[in-house]
Amino acid sequence: MKKNDVLAGLVFIALGIFIFTQTVSYPSPEKGHPGPGLFPNLLAILFIIFGGVLILKARKPANLSEGNPEIPAAPRRIFNAFFVLAIIVIFLAVVNIVGFLITSAVLCFVLMKRLGVTILRSAIASVVITLFINLMFSKLLRVPLPPGILSW
Amino acid sequence: MDAFLQGLTLLFSWKVILVIMASAIYGLFVGAMPGLTATMAAALLIPFTFFMDPVPALVSIVTMAAMAIFAGDIPAALVRIPGTPSSAAYTQDSFELTKQGKAELVLGADVVFSAIGGLMGAVILMTSAPLLAEVALKFTSFEYFWLAAMGLSATVMVSSGSQVKGALSVVLGLFLSTIGIDITLGLPRFTFGSIELLNGVDFIPAMIGLFGVSEVIRNVMEGELAFPIAKVKTEKIFSGMWRLFRRYKVNVLRSGLIGTFIGILPGAGADIAAWVAYAASKRFSKEPEKYGHGSIEAIVDSGTANNSCLAGDWVPALVFGIPGDSITAIVIGVLFMKGLRPGPMIFETQPDIIYAVYLSFILANLLMIPFGYLAIKSSSQMLRVPRNMLMPGILMFCIVGSFAINNTVFDVGIMLVTGVIGFFLEANGFPVAPVVLGLVLGPIVEKNFMMSMIKTDWDVTQFFTRPVSAILCIITLFIWFFPLLAVLLEKTKNRNNR
Repeated sequence: MKKNDVLAGLVFIALGIFIFTQTVSYPSPEKGHPGPGLFPNLLAILFIIFGGVLILKARKPANLSEGNPEIPAAPRRIFNAFFVLAIIVIFLAVVNIVGFLITSAVLCFVLMKRLGVTILRSAIASVVITLFINLMFSKLLRVPLPPGILSW
Repeated sequence: MDAFLQGLTLLFSWKVILVIMASAIYGLFVGAMPGLTATMAAALLIPFTFFMDPVPALVSIVTMAAMAIFAGDIPAALVRIPGTPSSAAYTQDSFELTKQGKAELVLGADVVFSAIGGLMGAVILMTSAPLLAEVALKFTSFEYFWLAAMGLSATVMVSSGSQVKGALSVVLGLFLSTIGIDITLGLPRFTFGSIELLNGVDFIPAMIGLFGVSEVIRNVMEGELAFPIAKVKTEKIFSGMWRLFRRYKVNVLRSGLIGTFIGILPGAGADIAAWVAYAASKRFSKEPEKYGHGSIEAIVDSGTANNSCLAGDWVPALVFGIPGDSITAIVIGVLFMKGLRPGPMIFETQPDIIYAVYLSFILANLLMIPFGYLAIKSSSQMLRVPRNMLMPGILMFCIVGSFAINNTVFDVGIMLVTGVIGFFLEANGFPVAPVVLGLVLGPIVEKNFMMSMIKTDWDVTQFFTRPVSAILCIITLFIWFFPLLAVLLEKTKNRNNR
């Protein structure tokens, strides 16, 4: 029995049901003819069918040739993943206020430090990466990146 | 001929040459780095291609992909880790030969037969695409519906691991494509009042999330790979190649054809081409016992196939607008961004661009020999680039790339969400490429279905009675019921054996 597959199957079935709850209120162009709801409803049915099949299959003893073996990651490593997500969220929140150069350099430094790079190397690398990206985007491609507080 | 010359002049401007060089180096580096895939490289390229002219944009993707798929062979031979999934089929053989002291032979064969495979694929692309385009001119919305349905079905069929999971990935991609304004009535679907979502899930941040961010998350969870890098001589990597080619010329021809054919199949990419060519090679080999223990024949065959596949992938992408793999899914996105509609008409209206693509395939594969040689020479330095410094850099590129297209942080949000989705899918054995194909093909399936229905006042029979429609329908149904047929055949076979 593969727990993750059962869980995944349930999530997809839930998504299918959710789609149905949304499409109920969709209008149809002419009487009796399907409209914008047709395609999502079809997908909802497929979600439910395949999700169900996935659960049924997961209940059988694990087939070794299928998929990756589930190796639990160390808690420290799992935390790394959340760290990456947090970096993206912080970027989202502050980039327009603080500006690209500072945001990128600081976040890059913090992430490198977290991944075990020494302070000096992190500092140099994050500044180099930030300047490189800035050069590529704002100079070469002429995409303005948010200047933020450095725009005086 | 005029278009050919125009294509040539488009290609040989200093700007394009510069783009080719940069893309080649980029592709070689990404391909040679274990954990970074060619698709991720393509996803990170889109923000750049967004701001380029169509020709350099397409040329950079062609060059990058060709180099990356070859470069994936390098770490396979040196550290027994495929640089991209496309080298996985023959990683074992490559490393065994390296252990036997034949690294020069392996690396030489990798670069030479990658180039030969790529050139074969290019020739088939150049000859078959215009012919298919003539046929495709007669296609209407009915046929396009079936083509897209066939593409989606084929994606599920060939998805590695479980087909149920492949199907769920496709449906998820299709679902993501329904978000935004609906095409028949202009009704907002699944937008939850968000104005930004009215335009739908933007393709670029979604791709960067699915292939870039998810890989970064996976990599930081794995930590540093501590692999000993084999010290090998790379002085005379090209010696013995001519002998190898003469000995295996039939193999090369077969694998090139297999690779290109799999490329043309919608949804199946270079990794599958390599596996299929490997299996065929073993079956026809005089020395099947060597496979897995260091067979140069296996490397010649699969190495040819995965590179020839790349050109094959462009055939359905250019002719029908149906991607052959996840990289050409990105290409289709790029074409749309440039205001070019992939499809048979593009061969008439913009033949210069088509020729530029052809020529860039030839150029990229010729350049592979010198560039590949240099990459092999510097491979041990490349492999020493620490991942814990590389990943933060890639993450920043992902963020800025998503941000730059529309200059909005909302797109970074889309990247974040799709990144998490991509990570969870991959961690649980769901293939990610079908999500992208679903996202690209979703609107095609729905639009052509609804158009056909409204045109004929809901006469569903038209989908089955038009001759070409009927053929495509039969192929699609065959793909659907093939697993069932295979199971039945297997059962009767077992019964007969008993």
